[in-house]
Amino acid sequence: MSNVSADLIWEVSRPYNSFLVQRKAGGAPRFSRDPLNLTNLHSRKYAGFVNDKAIGIVPNEKGGVQVISKKPASANKPASGVYKVTYGGNKTSRKTYKAVANQAAKNGYRPDLRPAAVARASAIRRSQRSTKPDPVKKPRGAAAKRAAADKQ
Amino acid sequence: MASQRPTITVFSAEGKSAGSEVLPKVFSAPIRPDIVKHVHTGMAKNKRQPYSVSEKAGHQTSAESWGTGRAVARIPRVSGGGTHRAGQAAFGNMCRSGRMFAPTKIWRKWHVKVNQGQKRFATASALAASAVAPLLMARGHQVATVPEVPLVVDSAAVAGEAVSKTASALGLLKAVGAGPDVEKVKGSKKLRAGKGKLRGRRHRQRRGPLVVYSAEADGKDLVKGFRNIPGVETCPVDALNLLQLAPGGHLGRFVIWTSAAIKQLDAIYDSKKGFFLPSNVVAQADLSRLINSSEIQSVLRAPKGDARTKRGAVQKKNPLKNKQVQLRLNPYAAAFAKEKLGELKADEGKPKPVPAAFKEQLHEV
Repeated sequence: MSNVSADLIWEVSRPYNSFLVQRKAGGAPRFSRDPLNLTNLHSRKYAGFVNDKAIGIVPNEKGGVQVISKKPASANKPASGVYKVTYGGNKTSRKTYKAVANQAAKNGYRPDLRPAAVARASAIRRSQRSTKPDPVKKPRGAAAKRAAADKQ
Repeated sequence: MASQRPTITVFSAEGKSAGSEVLPKVFSAPIRPDIVKHVHTGMAKNKRQPYSVSEKAGHQTSAESWGTGRAVARIPRVSGGGTHRAGQAAFGNMCRSGRMFAPTKIWRKWHVKVNQGQKRFATASALAASAVAPLLMARGHQVATVPEVPLVVDSAAVAGEAVSKTASALGLLKAVGAGPDVEKVKGSKKLRAGKGKLRGRRHRQRRGPLVVYSAEADGKDLVKGFRNIPGVETCPVDALNLLQLAPGGHLGRFVIWTSAAIKQLDAIYDSKKGFFLPSNVVAQADLSRLINSSEIQSVLRAPKGDARTKRGAVQKKNPLKNKQVQLRLNPYAAAFAKEKLGELKADEGKPKPVPAAFKEQLHEV
């Protein structure tokens, strides 16, 4: 409708909205919990719920990332207005980034979000890496002597 | 224009599409959070009950000042003896057991009159905002599963006894995608902080969907079905209330309409005497479309400079480090460097012997 636009929605919801995280410390950044926000920063550019076109990247349950994007044509249809693609954990990171970058920037969707989208996908992939378990500590000093005595 | 207005889907009791309705005009009213906030502030005050401290509080003693000369403050003091209270200061707001400062009175101005035109503007604005999915999300409603906003449910699904029971009403809400919002309310019930707990406001919880029905077409049985579902409120379409449409003065309440109610909405606004739906000051709210429109672009100056323009003297360069800047200041520097004059030793051999005449003169007695 002509009475509504992303600019208006942003002006209405900028002072407070359910996604906004404000910490008490003065000068602390204002964050956003919006799943369609790539940097989690409360800003016009990254506010996914406001913009007609927006991209969100969330970790996939079985590894990899899920990319959510909004369909500008069905803005008032929340249930069917998002497009979801999953790039599994077995896909190489490089290919995932390429796919994410293309999804963001190809066809003029949101080229300005490309670096942020790739960075978020990368951060999620990095967090999904299995960590090497710490090696078992060898007993030293008195504990070593005790262990040796126990063995005998 | 009526034919150009967008249509909205009507959903059946199973959540399937069951026809469509033309979007009422009120949904294209301007969205004005400032007006809604101001009207809400006034209207929210009109349900208050007067309160005050007792008229007698702090004055139930026959204290009198001792006057000067007793080396104590001149505040009234309780007379008599035989008890600790005697001689203690009384009445003042700074005294123990004294009266409070400016005791509250029941004749405070509790109610605020809000002009009817403003109230109607605010209601229209809140209705328009309830049709904007991002504003619903910004208010905190869980609408990710809702098929369309505004959500219209076929009146057949609520007719008669269809949803007069809580279970069937809840079933309807879930079928049309409002389940997560109801769930959210259920999980949000918290004990209120402070004294409100003792004053009939023990818990606080979120607000869920507002069900707007037509009292004539849908009957009132559905109210009984919905009233025990936490957070869900009902409202007849001819008595829409800003306090429900914009709780806390925040735009974007999730409203579920019956098809009869939404059909009635245009007639309701037409019947309001002397009230015309507010129109938008700016016909196109999209700023980038405005800026990129040919009307604007045709009267704008062309951008200065080329796609890549050399910056002028914006930054000071150090000529001792930057060769090009040094050459600009000192063209001789090129020859100086080429001849390696800077590396030459000031080699002139031994000093020349002084002439004998000079020495003679020096040692003259």
